[in-house]
Amino acid sequence: MGYGMVIDQQLCVGCAACTIACKIENNTPVGFNWCDKITRTSGKFPAVRYEYISTMCNHCDNAPCVAACPTQAMYKDRQTGLTLHDTKKCIGCKACIVNCPYGVISFNWERPHQHWAQRDRLAEGCFSPREMLEESGGEGSPHGNPERGTTYPVVRPAGSVEKCTFCDHRLVKGLAPACVDACPSGARQFGDIDDPNSEVSKLVARHGGKGLREELGTRPRVIYIRDYKPQRRFEPARPAGENQGA
Amino acid sequence: MNSNVSRKDFLTPTWILIAAGLVAGGAVGLYEMFFGHLFATNSSLVWTLPLVTYIFLALMSTGVSLILAYGLIMKDEAITRHTRALLIMAIGMLLGGFTALATELGSLLNMVWILLSPNPSSPIWWMGTLYSIELVLLAVKLVLDLKGRHGVFDLPLAWGTLLIAAAAAITIGAVFGTVIGRPDYHGAFLSVITLVSALVSGAAAIVLLRPQSALTETAGRIFRQTALLFAGLLLVRVAYEAHSTVVGMLGWASIWMLVPFILALVLLQYAPRILAFIGILGVLWVQYSFIITGQLVSLGQTAHWYGAVQSYQPNIPEALILVLGVAVAAALIKLGGQFLMDERPPAT
Ligand code: SF4
Ligand code: SF4
Repeated sequence: MGYGMVIDQQLCVGCAACTIACKIENNTPVGFNWCDKITRTSGKFPAVRYEYISTMCNHCDNAPCVAACPTQAMYKDRQTGLTLHDTKKCIGCKACIVNCPYGVISFNWERPHQHWAQRDRLAEGCFSPREMLEESGGEGSPHGNPERGTTYPVVRPAGSVEKCTFCDHRLVKGLAPACVDACPSGARQFGDIDDPNSEVSKLVARHGGKGLREELGTRPRVIYIRDYKPQRRFEPARPAGENQGA
Repeated sequence: MNSNVSRKDFLTPTWILIAAGLVAGGAVGLYEMFFGHLFATNSSLVWTLPLVTYIFLALMSTGVSLILAYGLIMKDEAITRHTRALLIMAIGMLLGGFTALATELGSLLNMVWILLSPNPSSPIWWMGTLYSIELVLLAVKLVLDLKGRHGVFDLPLAWGTLLIAAAAAITIGAVFGTVIGRPDYHGAFLSVITLVSALVSGAAAIVLLRPQSALTETAGRIFRQTALLFAGLLLVRVAYEAHSTVVGMLGWASIWMLVPFILALVLLQYAPRILAFIGILGVLWVQYSFIITGQLVSLGQTAHWYGAVQSYQPNIPEALILVLGVAVAAALIKLGGQFLMDERPPAT
């Protein structure tokens, strides 16, 4: 058993709903995106090509961040294949950041969500950020998702890294990661990629997907299928009758 | 051990400079550790001048340890007569490096996890472990020397320090050399660079800091020989970078980096201290250049935030951490000289 994600480039419309959903679900600080993007423009007019590649931690099987971490704060969960992080063991050495070839780990140089600690009111009669936080019972920010806190602190401490967990707190409840549920075009599929009979494995078998920077030997668990081609706009990813959405 | 140290010994220009460095750098370090973030970093460029300071001082300490261990093993009187002074230098430099490192680690208390949850596949774990053992060995040697206990342990301790110090210097290079996917960090060459730079800077530090004697002559010889080797390695790297076809490689070596070492090679006998100082600056330049350049190319999504290639210039707080590391090392070396040496150095 090992989770993996398949992203169908033909179906992805580059709306960034995944990025926003991740931010809300995981309460990431300003400037941190666990789910982000690479954009590439290539070619010469009129044959110009624009690519939007949704990115996140690839939960690599052969994860350089895990090998480099001196304290096992970054570790592989062998049950699920996820690369997870224990903030308590993290000493802030940033070796994981330097060693991750995908640039998906962020470092909390300061205590995050500080602006929610301010007591100043913008105008008389308004809530101050602190009052809003106290009123809502939120952690870090009024919309800090308490569910997140079941497997990873809602507010990660200063001096610690943070990154995508494939929404492990949702997986234990049988839910898909928030980015998968938020995708309006069904471009993201999630499941047991180690099981050859799973939906995700069948998609990879059918379309022959590829991970990012595979030549480095990291064995990423996020696989991209079908480069976008306008001429195959109406071609289904799966044979008729199979589920097209998340 | 010296007990008649007076307040006057601390009212000297050197101590005033050291105190200024400790106050200014210490204020920045404490602010960075407990209150807010001052360094010119982001989530893509994470190891900057404070980490370079640690590596620079730790390697210089390693160089001094290696030279002392060599002297003890070879029974070279010119070196062994200054055992205590060299131990004080090595310990002071290493603790200065650790101070700089502390300011840039997120969570000092969590360092305990290095012991409780070790990861032997991590070069940083090995680096931390080896330098901790090195510090303990140096401290044991200093205590034995202060108590006048010499004998059966001397040779095993010297061999132990030699092996641990060499392994530690090589491991620092491996922290960068084992990284995959960053075109300017790769390969065993970086371990060779860190080991040789340790010897160059350690020998130069002895020439710079110790009064002229047979020791500084021996250290000067080692400095010239290792400077020649270092210049040769840099030349190889310049040639390699000029012909490299590695995609995305920026290159950290420059032909100008050879100048301080060639100058030392040719002119050391005329102005040993000035050229030793220039050699130390040259080593700092090389270490700074390869550590920073390796991180300038943004990977993956970070290119969107910081640009495909970043530029970096240390800011004033980062420069003050360099000052802090050097000031801590200098303070400890001075204190050691004033309190632990039988012959006190003249007050400066
Ligand atoms: S993508 Fe980066 S952070 Fe995620 S598992 Fe791979 S190396 Fe680690
Ligand atoms: S920053 Fe934390 S998670 Fe990353 S390598 Fe260091 S200890 Fe491990």
